[in-house]
Amino acid sequence: MVKATPIVEMRNIKKNFGGVQALRGVDLTLQRNEVLGLVGDNAAGKSTLMKVLSGAYIPDEGEIFIEGKKVHISNPWDARRLGIEMVYQDLALADNLDVAANVFLGRETASTKLGPISVMDKHYMEQETQRLLDRLKIDISSVRSIVERLSGGQRQAIAIGRATAFDNKVTIMDEPTAALSVAAIDKVLDLVRELKAQGNSIIIISHRLEDIYQVSDRMIVLRQGRKVCEYPVVGKLDEFRERVVAYIIGARDDFAKRGAS
Amino acid sequence: MRTRRLKMSLVKDAKGLFQQNIREFGMYIALAVIMVIFTITTKGVFISSRNISNLLNQGGYIAVLAVGMTLVIIIRHIDLSVGYLSGFLGAVAAIAMVSWRLPVYIAIPFVLMCGILAGLFSGFLVAQMKIPAFVATLAGWLGYRGALQLATMRTGTIIIPNAAFNAISNGYVPDIPGIRILPGVHKVTLILGVLVILLFIINSTINRRRTQAYSFKVLSIELFILKLVFISALIGGITWVLAGYRGLSWTAVVILIVLLFYNFIMSQTFLGRHIYAVGGNPEAAELSGISVKKITYVVFCSMGMLAGLSGIMFASRLQSATTTAGQLFELDAIAAAFVGGASATGGIGKVAGSIIGAFVMMSMTNGMNLMGIDISYQYIVRATVLAAAVIFDVATRRREK
Repeated sequence: MVKATPIVEMRNIKKNFGGVQALRGVDLTLQRNEVLGLVGDNAAGKSTLMKVLSGAYIPDEGEIFIEGKKVHISNPWDARRLGIEMVYQDLALADNLDVAANVFLGRETASTKLGPISVMDKHYMEQETQRLLDRLKIDISSVRSIVERLSGGQRQAIAIGRATAFDNKVTIMDEPTAALSVAAIDKVLDLVRELKAQGNSIIIISHRLEDIYQVSDRMIVLRQGRKVCEYPVVGKLDEFRERVVAYIIGARDDFAKRGAS
Repeated sequence: MRTRRLKMSLVKDAKGLFQQNIREFGMYIALAVIMVIFTITTKGVFISSRNISNLLNQGGYIAVLAVGMTLVIIIRHIDLSVGYLSGFLGAVAAIAMVSWRLPVYIAIPFVLMCGILAGLFSGFLVAQMKIPAFVATLAGWLGYRGALQLATMRTGTIIIPNAAFNAISNGYVPDIPGIRILPGVHKVTLILGVLVILLFIINSTINRRRTQAYSFKVLSIELFILKLVFISALIGGITWVLAGYRGLSWTAVVILIVLLFYNFIMSQTFLGRHIYAVGGNPEAAELSGISVKKITYVVFCSMGMLAGLSGIMFASRLQSATTTAGQLFELDAIAAAFVGGASATGGIGKVAGSIIGAFVMMSMTNGMNLMGIDISYQYIVRATVLAAAVIFDVATRRREK
């Protein structure tokens, strides 16, 4: 990979919750148009690290650079302005609304404004949603379908589509394939590839190593709030899995000395 | 052969439409069935112009409360305080006009403002202090009951002598004098009815064309025409019945304004979309940048304002403020919202549905009164209807999943 300015660079991120050290100085870089896999056991700090990047948590220590510029992200709005979008594990969709309403939730387009009351431009939003679904090859019969009636895979696709609908640069996905059928997982992975092909930079958190293996260019393993491994995704699946598991359970550690100092 | 295929596709379309909108249709069917039953059992008295007109005037203050309650239920809360708040604000209106000698055009906005303030207080308890709405508004229920008794303690019932104020729930829109055709029929009402039908047809047609232009699915032309005919006939029927007595009452005008305004807000504006989103998934709404707190405040303030309006309508109906005004209004409003299709799990409910729900419940009371059924049986029958409505809601939702 060419040594260009990374799109995201996190340096020495630390975060404590009470007495628990959730992150003990983690470095992370994401190159432009790269898919980075983030793995680790429960409570390894994956989600915490990503919530720092998406503005849900404020780190105790550490610096974040976006395209080489130092930034302060203190809430989800800051992150969104910088082009960072997170797809949450629990989907964050309003089940009672239709597809178009969910895609534009909180970012509705107005046709007219009557004082404090903004009237929605529904046709524009439906059209744009249809265009988005077509662009990402998401198969849903109508943008007016109520989300509650869609399958798990379709819902995940909408959650991802929604995050990438507004020209973002970085998409963070927290367990995008959890609780999905095999066919639906394949579709979600196709969607990740499609996003990469369209120039997006992506970080994926997953328990499923075969998913990481299939779509990622590089991966980082966290253990007990520290980075223990950073490696390009190469080789056969079995070897890959064996190696990664060794890092996850703590049998191997590439950064042991630095972590101890 | 062609006609048969046409019929088949028509039946199939109708079936799909029915299944998709079963909850909405269920309520209209229920209202129709109830009206037919009472018309038969009362030998036509129920459907008489005079009775229907009366029914609208009697149900107005509950319908208005039910609209506010629908929004509260959509965002997964409940407001028990609005019954006595409505009674108390009715008394405030009476005192403002009788003791403080405020003119009616100041007294009414003043009372509505008081309602908004009361809503702000409930909103503060629920949104800011995170007290469960059930408990917070139960406190309001007690408090406003006390306030109502205090307000009416010295005078007892306060008689309101203001003719304009009392017209709100007792008066009718005046007719154009000097037209000879159709004696005994209210011409203004008829003209308005025809206008509404025309507007509805034009609006539906434009909407259908626009949807087609975006190549979204629309109803088949046969079903579309069927729907237009059905709803036009419904509006026409109501208009004709009302025009047969004294025409459109001011209460009906108030309900129509509330219905149109809230329907517009809920279906066309950012605010309405955000209210539904907060009800559907508060966490998702918050993550999307919608302030759940702000929406909660707005919804409780709207509820308070409508409680004020309801209090005005009730005081106007009785032409006085009484110590027991507002008793159990909140429960009637909640029942109306649930009968009207609101869902106890939040996120689902329509303003028009709740107004229909209010009139379903009102029709039950009115019809059973006309039949001379004992009040104790009436409660049991209404309980059955409410339970049936909720069971229907839960069952249709489960089947969709």
